[in-house]
Amino acid sequence: MMQRWTLYIAAGVWLAVLAVVKFAVTPPMPASVQMIYMTLTTVAIVLFVAANEARFQAFLAPLKAVFAGRAPKLVQALVLAGIPLLAGWGAWLRTAPSWDAPFEPRVVHPEPPSSFNLHGQRIETATLKNPLRAANEKNPEELEKLAQEGKTIYYQNCFFCHGDALAGDGHFANAFSPIPANFRDVGTISMLQESFVFWRVSTGGPGLPKGATPWLSAMPVWQNFLKEDEIWKAILYIYAGSGSTPRTWDEETKHENH
Amino acid sequence: MKIINLLAIAFVAALGAGSPAASADAPKVKTGPVKPTPVAADLEAGKKLYRRYCTQCHGDEGKGDGPAADFIYPRPRNFTTAIFKVRTTLSGQLPTDHDLFHIISEGLPGTSMPAWKKFIPENDRWQLVHYVKTFDELGLFKEEPAKEQVVVDAAPKMTAELVAKGKDLYQQKKCWQCHGPQGRGDGVSAAGMKDEWGFPIRPVNFTKSWRFRGGDRIEDIYRTFTTGFNGTPMPSFVDAIPAAEDRWALAAFVKSLALPQKNAQVLKSGFVIGEIPADPYAKEWEGAESADFPLAGQIILEPRWFQPMHDVITARALYNEKEIAILLEWDDGTNSKGEGKPADEVELQLPIGDTGPVKPYFILGDDKHPVEVLRWSAKDGLTRLTAEGATKLNPRETGGWVAQGDYKEGQYRVILRRPMQGKEGEVSFAPGKFVPVAFHLRDGDNGEEGLKMSLSTWYTLLPQPATPLTAYLWPFGIGFIAFGGEMWLLRRMRRKPAAGSS
Repeated sequence: MMQRWTLYIAAGVWLAVLAVVKFAVTPPMPASVQMIYMTLTTVAIVLFVAANEARFQAFLAPLKAVFAGRAPKLVQALVLAGIPLLAGWGAWLRTAPSWDAPFEPRVVHPEPPSSFNLHGQRIETATLKNPLRAANEKNPEELEKLAQEGKTIYYQNCFFCHGDALAGDGHFANAFSPIPANFRDVGTISMLQESFVFWRVSTGGPGLPKGATPWLSAMPVWQNFLKEDEIWKAILYIYAGSGSTPRTWDEETKHENH
Repeated sequence: MKIINLLAIAFVAALGAGSPAASADAPKVKTGPVKPTPVAADLEAGKKLYRRYCTQCHGDEGKGDGPAADFIYPRPRNFTTAIFKVRTTLSGQLPTDHDLFHIISEGLPGTSMPAWKKFIPENDRWQLVHYVKTFDELGLFKEEPAKEQVVVDAAPKMTAELVAKGKDLYQQKKCWQCHGPQGRGDGVSAAGMKDEWGFPIRPVNFTKSWRFRGGDRIEDIYRTFTTGFNGTPMPSFVDAIPAAEDRWALAAFVKSLALPQKNAQVLKSGFVIGEIPADPYAKEWEGAESADFPLAGQIILEPRWFQPMHDVITARALYNEKEIAILLEWDDGTNSKGEGKPADEVELQLPIGDTGPVKPYFILGDDKHPVEVLRWSAKDGLTRLTAEGATKLNPRETGGWVAQGDYKEGQYRVILRRPMQGKEGEVSFAPGKFVPVAFHLRDGDNGEEGLKMSLSTWYTLLPQPATPLTAYLWPFGIGFIAFGGEMWLLRRMRRKPAAGSS
């Protein structure tokens, strides 16, 4: 019943996917990635249509009507003129120079090194835990007090970029690329362990591995400004202030068991 | 309970507005009764919220002395004197509760006060309004709360005549004394201004409308002229410009000066036939595509600089067969030539030689990847330096670089030019080749020198090549082939039924 609309539905689905890929996704994805999505969509639609003979014939029917001259004259003219124009326009999109900046792939959460230097000492990442959280596991009041101390550190050092509400939108944020992390976003600190956050804070942009473009990151090397416990306190605050909790291995084993 | 409170407040407010005493002192401006406050005070809840969201800047006691206060410009508001800038009330009066609510909700553009409506529920924002008022040491909010607020009518249509009339008023009423002839905040009395608390304050640059504290809609600008900014040198213009339509004209003129930011990743350099104009005001430069690059304070390396004056630099570029020239443009209310204070400076940072996928560190490079810095100073003109990190800066001869700079009506324009082909230790420019560039700015009057500056991260400069002929030929060719295919199919499909009859 619906079959006679196959061509139009296919075209509609294709255009809808195009609209989502081009306009609905933020931040916008690079053109090369858009191309991959659209190719996959095209292949999927063609496969689906061709999988059933009746469906395939229904798909072709409107086109056949145009080429065999059965469709109304106006429709014939529109389709016959439209196809070469669309093909030419598609070719122009490919050949027209765009002069966009070269795409620089960047790893957002790179693998931390097995160890790194902090104030001249070697720190093993795998066994690193927030000592303040560990020592005050049963003392939430003390933990809260330490987080409050971390708040002062945050507002004297971090909030210019990471924002008053920890949303990565401080008054200097828009001058930097990559943009400062939004701690309220579930894709940042809440999916990371505190040891990872400690490594990123202590060694800053220059401490990143090559794939994460260390030359671009505006994150300072905080061990040059802050003591070890000050960094831990600030980390306590960014979790408490943004209402998130650090990822832990214990939690993960729990998830696996259930 | 809430509804009863609300009604009570509405009743009191209506009484206040109706009393002759309240309306007597405001005959010139159309005012109306203050809107009732929709949420009753719960000071305990307000205190808790204030401690969570506000103390970092405004301080535990509302004195504007929180731990972050020394690191931001403009400084956070001190609530104890109950003086507020952005209001709907007449000059010198207290703000309404709705005014305070509006500031908390929408934030103050151009400052570090964010729009809290994204993070704090409406009811809680009202509690903050109530709590902030408790810091008022003189008890003014109790004794003489605002009973009337300015009525802002529908804005007139922004016509050329209205803007021209506003321009005349701008001259007549001497707005340029502070805001400058072109509105760039560079008036003769701009330097050294202080606010009520003795902190430095600068007249706003009307071209940067995104920084207008009270908002940049024409209605907002009109309201600011009408109410003035309490505690600052910006007065109410109700006495100087009594007619509302004149204030609307001035608002329209100010609005017309706004230049929206045009941020870009690539600075595209256009090709010119013949000489690139040496005069930064030449009309060829107006035709060159401009790009804005946002800047931030250099807070990454010691000495960290938290209160930069510059937040954007505008660049254009042109090239011909031999040369490339980059025009850098930025507004500065003060022309500091290094007398008593540091000189104003701009820097263009380039890599040395060609970079592969690895770029130099964006602040002055590092040991392995040095950068070239072209510095133009309002005092000394051009200097060229090589930097291997912020602590290793070495001057070198200027090579093929030539600079020409000028300061006019609150704006610097500096042209840096060089042959396209780089010498030893220089990057080469070529059509279609992307070269990383970064920018630094220093406002000497603000005490900026060395690492105390505004900076950008890496962007790219591209001498834009002419579109090749093949780019046009392909679409035609493919369109033609598609058309040919269609004709073939058409003939094939239409011949069959016709075969029997012919």
